[in-house]
Amino acid sequence: MPVVITAKNISFAYVRMPVLENISFTVEAGDYIGLIGPNGGGKTTLLKVLLGLEKGRGEIQLFGTALEKFTDWNKIGYLAQKSPVAQSRFPIAAEEVVLMGLPGRGARVGRNELKEVYAAMRQTRTRQYAGRIFNDLSIGQQQRVLLARALVSKPELLILDEPSTALDVESREMFFDLLAQLNTKYHTTILLITHDTGEVGKHISKFMYVDKKLVFFGTREEFCHSPAVAKQLGPFAQHTIDHLHNQHGHCPLGASCKECHHG
Amino acid sequence: MVEFLSYGFVQRGLLAGSLVAAACALLGVFLVLKRLSLIGDGMSHVCLTGVAVALLTSTSPVYMSIPVVAVASLGIMKLAKKFKIYGDAAIGIISAAGLSVGLLLTALAGGFNTDLLGYLFGSILTVTRGETILCALLLLIVAGGIFLFYRLLVATCFDESFACTRGVPVRIVDTGLVLVTSVAVVLSFKVVGIFLISALIIIPPVTALLISRTFKQVLWLAAGFGVLSVWIGIYISFIFNIPSGAAIILINLFFLFAGYLLSKGVPRG
Ligand SMILES: Nc1ncnc2c1ncn2[C@@H]1O[C@H](COP(=O)(O)OP(=O)(O)OP(=O)(O)O)[C@@H](O)[C@H]1O
Ligand SMILES: [Mg+2]
Repeated sequence: MPVVITAKNISFAYVRMPVLENISFTVEAGDYIGLIGPNGGGKTTLLKVLLGLEKGRGEIQLFGTALEKFTDWNKIGYLAQKSPVAQSRFPIAAEEVVLMGLPGRGARVGRNELKEVYAAMRQTRTRQYAGRIFNDLSIGQQQRVLLARALVSKPELLILDEPSTALDVESREMFFDLLAQLNTKYHTTILLITHDTGEVGKHISKFMYVDKKLVFFGTREEFCHSPAVAKQLGPFAQHTIDHLHNQHGHCPLGASCKECHHG
Repeated sequence: MVEFLSYGFVQRGLLAGSLVAAACALLGVFLVLKRLSLIGDGMSHVCLTGVAVALLTSTSPVYMSIPVVAVASLGIMKLAKKFKIYGDAAIGIISAAGLSVGLLLTALAGGFNTDLLGYLFGSILTVTRGETILCALLLLIVAGGIFLFYRLLVATCFDESFACTRGVPVRIVDTGLVLVTSVAVVLSFKVVGIFLISALIIIPPVTALLISRTFKQVLWLAAGFGVLSVWIGIYISFIFNIPSGAAIILINLFFLFAGYLLSKGVPRG
């Protein structure tokens, strides 16, 4: 499998406060990684460092190229945890926001570009808001528009920081189905931060648990069924594991799992 | 009106004023949205240093001020980056430095003379041919830059970190914006005077932002308000014999007030 992200000994501190310590891992093409951990554990910061938005120590490669030299940003779709500053007045239409995800620079918008924008908006069910002013949309509608922006360049790597927090039940389900489909059908690599442990269990292939250090990185099976790991992870992870077990049918071991509460 | 327009120096003043007002308004849209709009205020104070140096050395105030203000604007960027959140403080520091050095040099040059007063309060009818050409060049660069890099500019205003992950060189875009603004500021001081330049950068964009429904509309309206205020302002100043700079800014304030009323009454959607 080609390697998509290589991280070696990443450390990062906000003014004298260490947030990440010596984190190393590799992400392979086609991985669907759930990045979990407690609030303030450094998940968001890790993504920012990976994307070069914060400058940390250590070595990072994206698609085999050192981060400092990486220019192929079309291959990456990113959705931040924080929405863009809600300026009181920023009259920009939702479709223009999605357009930012495409590589063009000038004022002219090509017909094909518009087609791609609308296709992405249909995927996140926001086509009907295309002409509305972004800041006038509800938070959940905004989040779906920003998802469309992350998807519009058909990226090979999707980096999503809690994309589902403001979504209603139906949108959330559709969104996670969409991610699963992108992952299986188009082999899109996904790195997803979420506290939505119920959804996490369904499709994710690997878990990454970050609490300042990389406490755990491995497959879902290892995550669920390694008591030693569970012990080390503390109450938060235990809760996640319980959640996975409790989801009828979603435990990777199925009915043979002794810990699952079947029936 | 016809008689008023028949003077060559009036025509040139109107032309230069319109060009520079449009450029200031267009730049102002991005500066206001980036919360950098006060940078115009800081730079205009630095103009005083440039003008004083020119008076001391008997050179052209406009051409002397351009490099001085450009360097100062880079200083503001550097300071703002160093202090991070205290961007406005950085502007205040450079602004104070520009004013005090300017006043000191003016004293050395033999105190306030009529030339200097003209620069403080605007003297649109003394615009030279060379300066008018410079104004045209400025607007060409501003409008061309916006046309070519429209999406980059909008993206860096709207969502800077996302722009970074699209490979947009945000620092270079910002530096370019600030450098071009410094030229616009210098070219504006004959039109409205050093004291009122920042109004030309701030008020038309804010008025446009209040009533526009698309971003392109913001740009067109801001430029339109800027140009219109220069025309009406100069006409009024000619009729009532009042300082043109003050008249231009008062017209802008009137537009702003009207825009505010309009934005209250007009639903967007
Ligand atoms: N801009 C900043 N300046 C200073 N400290 C910060 C900044 N951003 C985050 N931190 C701190 O860094 C630590 C990690 O924050 P981060 O946002 O990466 O956590 P997280 O794992 O994403 O949490 P959450 O689940 O709440 O999103 C926290 O202790 C936070 O207070
Ligand atoms: Mg976070």
